[in-house]
Amino acid sequence: MGLSNLFRRLRALTNKKELDIELDEELKFHLERDVEQNIKSGMAPDDARNSALRAFGGVDQSKEECRDARGVSLVENTLRDISYSARVLLKSYAFTIVVVLTLALGIGANTAIFSFANGILLRPLPYPQSDRLAVLEETARRGEEFSPVSYPNFLDWREQNTVFEDVAVHFGTSRYGLSGAGEPVEIRGSRISHSLLDVLRVSPQLGRTFTADEDRPEQDGVVIIGHELWQKNFGGDTDVLGKQIVLSNRSRTIVGVMPRGFRFPEISELWVPLALTPQTFTRTDHGLTSIARLKDGVTIAQAQAEMHNIAARIEQQNPVTNEGRGVRVTSLHDNLAGDYREALLILLGVVGCVLLVACVNVANLMLGRATARQKEFALRAALGASRWRIVRQLLIESLLLAIVGGALGFALSLLALHLLLNAIPIQLPFWMDFGIDLRVLVFTLGITLLTGLIFGAIPALQTSRVDLNDTLKEGGRGSSGFRGRSRSALVITEIALSLVLLVGAGLMIQSFLRLRQVNIGLDAKNLFTATVLLPRAKYREPQQRITFFKQLVERVRNVPGVEAAGATGTLPLNGNNWGRSLTVEGYPVLSVGQAPSIQHTVVTPGYFRTMGITLLAGRDFTDADTFEALKVTIVDERLARHYWPNDSAVGKRVRFGPPENNEPWHTIIGVVKSVRHERVQQDTDESVYLPHLQIPTPNLTLVARTTGDPNDMTGAIRREVAQLDRDQPISEIATMEEVVAESIWQPRLYAMLFVVFAGGALVLALIGIYGVMAFLVQTRTHEIGVRMALGATARDVFKLIVGRGMKLTVFGIVIGVAGAIGLTRLMHSLLFNTSATDPFTFIVIAILLSVAAFLACYIPARRAARVDPLTALRYE
Amino acid sequence: MTRQTADLFKQGTLDLLILRLLSSGSLNGWDIMQRIQLTSGEVLSVTPGALYPALHRLEARDLISAIWRPSDNNRKAKFYGLTARGRKQLETQRKEWERFSGAVNLIMKDA
Repeated sequence: MGLSNLFRRLRALTNKKELDIELDEELKFHLERDVEQNIKSGMAPDDARNSALRAFGGVDQSKEECRDARGVSLVENTLRDISYSARVLLKSYAFTIVVVLTLALGIGANTAIFSFANGILLRPLPYPQSDRLAVLEETARRGEEFSPVSYPNFLDWREQNTVFEDVAVHFGTSRYGLSGAGEPVEIRGSRISHSLLDVLRVSPQLGRTFTADEDRPEQDGVVIIGHELWQKNFGGDTDVLGKQIVLSNRSRTIVGVMPRGFRFPEISELWVPLALTPQTFTRTDHGLTSIARLKDGVTIAQAQAEMHNIAARIEQQNPVTNEGRGVRVTSLHDNLAGDYREALLILLGVVGCVLLVACVNVANLMLGRATARQKEFALRAALGASRWRIVRQLLIESLLLAIVGGALGFALSLLALHLLLNAIPIQLPFWMDFGIDLRVLVFTLGITLLTGLIFGAIPALQTSRVDLNDTLKEGGRGSSGFRGRSRSALVITEIALSLVLLVGAGLMIQSFLRLRQVNIGLDAKNLFTATVLLPRAKYREPQQRITFFKQLVERVRNVPGVEAAGATGTLPLNGNNWGRSLTVEGYPVLSVGQAPSIQHTVVTPGYFRTMGITLLAGRDFTDADTFEALKVTIVDERLARHYWPNDSAVGKRVRFGPPENNEPWHTIIGVVKSVRHERVQQDTDESVYLPHLQIPTPNLTLVARTTGDPNDMTGAIRREVAQLDRDQPISEIATMEEVVAESIWQPRLYAMLFVVFAGGALVLALIGIYGVMAFLVQTRTHEIGVRMALGATARDVFKLIVGRGMKLTVFGIVIGVAGAIGLTRLMHSLLFNTSATDPFTFIVIAILLSVAAFLACYIPARRAARVDPLTALRYE
Repeated sequence: MTRQTADLFKQGTLDLLILRLLSSGSLNGWDIMQRIQLTSGEVLSVTPGALYPALHRLEARDLISAIWRPSDNNRKAKFYGLTARGRKQLETQRKEWERFSGAVNLIMKDA
C-alpha cells in the first residue's frame, strides 16, 4: 500500500483541481439521483431539488471531509501554517531579528569551526584513494620515541614487505635557488625516491616521473616542477620538457610537470631524485619520511604486524646500529592531522556549547512570546484548532526562524572562517583544504534543524499543556507562574553553560600568558633574523663559506643601528632541529639505540652576545678556533648539570656521532644558559654548540641586535649581502619576536577562540537573565503595587527582584562549577603550566559572572522599585 | 423500531457494511445508500455526509478502488469495487463482527 498510497497523495496534491472537479461530479450525481427519485414519487421539480439538498446535509462540509480522507490536508495545512508563520514573524520583526541574529551567530560560529575541523580531520587528502596511504616511522628505544627513517632501513622495508604496493621516502621540504628562468628565486622543493609519485598515484600532466636509474648519485640531473611554478616561471610552455635549469647552482633537466594544485610534502612544488646510497646515508642517519600505499584489503594493523617482524629481523642482522629500533605504521591522514585533533574536538565542543546557550536564549524568548500569545492560541482552540495543530504551528515558526538563522549563519561562517585563517601566521600545509563541501552543508542543515527543534519544542510543549479554558477566563496572564518556572530553569542552564565556557577561556588565557612569560633563554626583543643559503656548488670549499659568513657578520655589525651580529645554523623555535648522539669522556659508551639525541647548533663568534644568551662559564668561540686548532664546543647549562652536577664542565671532552665513528673529541670551552630550541613548552632539550669555523655548513641564519625596529634593517642587510655576492638571495626575514610568536600560534589561536566563544555565551546569558527579570517585573507589577501599598519600601522591592535574579545566578554558578570541574579536565592537553581545576580561575570567573548577572538584574529591579503603587494597582 | 442513522454507527460498522455491499459487485455512492436502506428493511440509513468521506477514506486505504462509467440512467457515475486488500479486510472484519454480535446476543438472551 505504501507506494500506491504515496502516489495517490502526490496525485492528490498535484492534481488538486482535477480531483475537486471529480468530487463535485460525484456528489452532483448523487443529488441528481435524489431529485430524479423525488420527482418520480410525485414532487414538483423545485421541491424535489430542495428536499434532496436538505437530505444531503452540508455539501461543503462533506467535500472537506472527503478531501481530508484523501490525505491532502496534511500537506495543505502545513503550507498554510508556513505562510501564516511567516506573516506572524514578519509582523513582530523586532523579535524575529533578535532571534535570527542569535541563531545566525551560533550556527555561523559552529559552521566556521566545523569547516576548519573538516578541512583538517575529515576531508580526504588530495591524492587518489588517500585512505590507503600510510606513514612508516622508525621507533627508537623499543617504541618510546619516534624518529625519521634511515635509507638502508627503508631499502630493506621496501624489499621485504608483502603488505604494501610500494614504499617511498622523501627528505622533507628544503629550499632551492632557481636561476635560468627569470629572476633568481627561492623555491620549496623536495628530494624524493623515484616511486614516490606512483605511491601517491599522481601522474605528471606533462612528461614523466623519475626512473630508478635517475635515483642514483651522478645520474640525478633531472627535476619535476609543479603546475604553478611552470605557469609562473616558464609561462606554461609545453616545450619546457628537456629544458635545463640551474637549481642551487646545479644544472638539471626538466622531465615532468605535475598537475595543477599538486604539492607534496606540505608546500613543495619542485622535486628532484633522492639519489642516496646506503654508504652516504647509513643506518644511523635518520632524516627521511616514508610513505607507503597499502595493498587492497590489508589493514594498518596487518601492515604493522608484518613491519614489526621485518624490523626485528633487521635488528638481528644489524645489532649495533638498529638496537631497539622498530617501525610504526599509521595512516597518512592520522599522522598529518594528529597534532590538531584534540584541540579541534575541544573547540567543536566549546562552540557547540555556545549554540546551546543561543538555543536556550531563543527558547526563552519564544516562551515569553508564547505567553503573550496565549489568547491567540486559546481563541484558535476555541474555533476548533486541535492542540496538535497549535503545537505544529509553533514548531513551524521555530523551524522557519532556524532556517533563516541558519542561512544567515552559513554566510557569516564564510566570513568567520576567513578571519580565522587570517589569524594563522604560518603557511598551512597544502593538504589542508577549508572549502565548503557536502559535509559542511549537511552539518549546517543538521544543526539548523536540530536547533529549531530544541528551542521550538520547549515553548510548544508548554503551550500544549496549558488549559485553554483557564487561559480564556484569566485573560491570558494566569499561568505566568508556571511559565516563570521553566524560564528560570532556562536561565540557570545558560548561566551554568557560560560559566563552563568562561572557566575554559580563563584557563586558556592564563595558560597562554604563562607561555608568553616563559624565559626561553634569550632576549627576543629587537632581533633581526634572515636566512642565507649558500649554493653548495658555488661555495664548494669550506674556506669560501667561512670567509663569506665572517665577512657578512663583520659588515652587518658595522651597519648603523646594529649593536651586535652573529649567525647560527638553527634559529631557536624555528622548527629546524638537528640532533645527534653524544658520548661524554669518562662515561660509558652508549650504543646508538640508547644514546640521547642532543640538539646541535653551529654558530659564529658573537652569536650568544647578539641573542642575549648568557655565558655562564668559560668563553665564547673566537676567530682563533679554526679548523686546525683544538676542536672546541660550548654546552648548555642543562647538559653541563646532567654530566657534571658538582663540577665545572669547562675543560671536559665530548664526542659526537655514533660511537663506532670515533669522531674527534671536542673540548668544552664554555657553558651557556639553556635555550628552548624545540618548543616554548619544552625545557628538557640538552644542547651543544659548535663553531662555524670548524663545521663550515653552507646554511646559516643571520641574527642582528638592533637599536631600533628590526624591520627597518631589512634593506640595509640585503645590501650588505648583495655586496658580497650579487646573486645571493636572503630568505625568511623575520624578527625573533615573530619567530617566537609563530611557534606558539596554536595556543594563541585556541585561547582567542575560547575568549570569543565564552564572551558570546556570556552576552547571551546576560540577555537571558535580563529578559526574565524584566518579564517578571512586568507580570508582577500588580503584586508589587500591593506590596508597596502594604508598606514595602522601594528598597524592599529592589531587593526582592535582584534577590530573585541572583538566586538563579547562584544556582547556575553552582551547577556550572560542578560541570566545569568535570569538563575542563578534557582540555588538560591544551594547557601549559595551568591546572584544569585552577581554583583561582574558578573563583575569579564566578565573581565576574555574578557581578555581570547583578548588572543584568539591576535595570529591571530599578524599574520595579520605581513603581507607583496607585498606578500598579490600577494596572490591568 | 426507530430508524437508526448512520451517525450512530461506529465508523468501523459503516466501513464493514460498505465492504460487504461491494463484495457482490461494484456500486456508486447513491446505490450504496439505497442498498443500506433497502437491505436493512429501512431500519438503517446513512447520510451522504457520512458515506462519501467513508468511501474516500476506504479508497485512500486501498481497500476499494473506483472507476467512472455510465450508470443505468446513462449518466457517468463513480463506481466503487473491492480491491484484493478490501476483500481480505472484509473477511477479517466479518468474522470479528460475527463473534462480537454473537457474544452480545448470548448475553441478551441470558439476561
